[in-house]
Amino acid sequence: MPRRANNTLNREAIQSLFRTYQKTRDPGIKNVLVDAHLDLAHSLARRFLNRGEPLDDLVQVASMGLLKAIDRFDPDRNVQFTTYAVPTIVGELKRYFRDRVSTIRLPRGLRERTHALNNAVQKFSQQHGRSPNVAEIAREMSISEEEVIEGLESSESVSVASLNTSSGEESDLSLLDIIGGEDKALQILDERLSLAGAMSFLSQREQSLLYLRFVEGLSQTEIAGRLRISQMHVSRLLRRTLQSLRQNLTTNKAT
Amino acid sequence: MAKTKTADTICLTLYQRSLLPKIVRLATAGVASKAGFNLDEADDLQTALEELLRLHLAEDNPPGGNLCIRYSFFSDRLEIITRSIPRNFLDGANKIDRYARFILEKVADRVEESPIPDGEFEVKIVKNLPVHG
Repeated sequence: MPRRANNTLNREAIQSLFRTYQKTRDPGIKNVLVDAHLDLAHSLARRFLNRGEPLDDLVQVASMGLLKAIDRFDPDRNVQFTTYAVPTIVGELKRYFRDRVSTIRLPRGLRERTHALNNAVQKFSQQHGRSPNVAEIAREMSISEEEVIEGLESSESVSVASLNTSSGEESDLSLLDIIGGEDKALQILDERLSLAGAMSFLSQREQSLLYLRFVEGLSQTEIAGRLRISQMHVSRLLRRTLQSLRQNLTTNKAT
Repeated sequence: MAKTKTADTICLTLYQRSLLPKIVRLATAGVASKAGFNLDEADDLQTALEELLRLHLAEDNPPGGNLCIRYSFFSDRLEIITRSIPRNFLDGANKIDRYARFILEKVADRVEESPIPDGEFEVKIVKNLPVHG
């Protein structure tokens, strides 16, 4: 959804439109109110970046929250619309993550450990130019090796980000833009695997990831460096991509 | 490859269930860690085992059929032997087998397949221990 121009209506005009909308439910007025507050939805959506969901999807969810807020807002209460809308939109975004992203709700301690693990792996890889082993991470974090393994595996339950995900807080650049060369990836992978077109069921981004790992032979840490994401993130993405490919092959068992 | 004495062996005997890949991933992470592999290499081994398990589970074997995984530690490598894989997938007779072979050969240093009784196969995956600086 494209961003709109900043709100040019003053507070009184907004309140007046809300009163009219409350009485008439005129779709035209609703559109004006939506346009006037899309920046708010966009801004709130951006707060949820780096949790593994594409910005466009987040903006869509925030916009749904905005529509609900507009329908439910009572202009006769002595409160600004934005004061009412922010918790409604944020609630919609949180519900989205609760319902659609996390497959298993991890205990808070385990979630925090997984997050700290991710940071520790990234820091070690940057410092040493290679992936750490479990013992090294355990030493770094002053926890047991079993706890490291538990955290690594539980990270599979945390959101699996798509390759559409923005690569950084301040950047809307798709990871695909960083990878590039997806046409070549498709051709080479399909030839190597002799899958006669099975790769075409994957997104170009997934094909590119497989290309980097299985044709160029880059390690997960090297891919992580190239994509500016964590090794654990690459691991999750690769696993999901392989699952998609396997599922497709299982569904279409032809030789 | 020079013959080296087996330092240790861990055997898992598992009933085939949909949760097996999760259990085997966890066990393999622990084994790979003890063997000295880094996270990238451990993930390679987890991927290889998961692909083999999926082949096993996809064959509609009777419930309760066992899957045996033996991890053998050597000074220079880890060997993982998995029984009982239902068919000779290294022949690449269909897309799924070609896919599994491709993935396994990419993530392991060596993949071998041998027939065992009852028309099944055991698959040996060898991953060499790298020398980290």
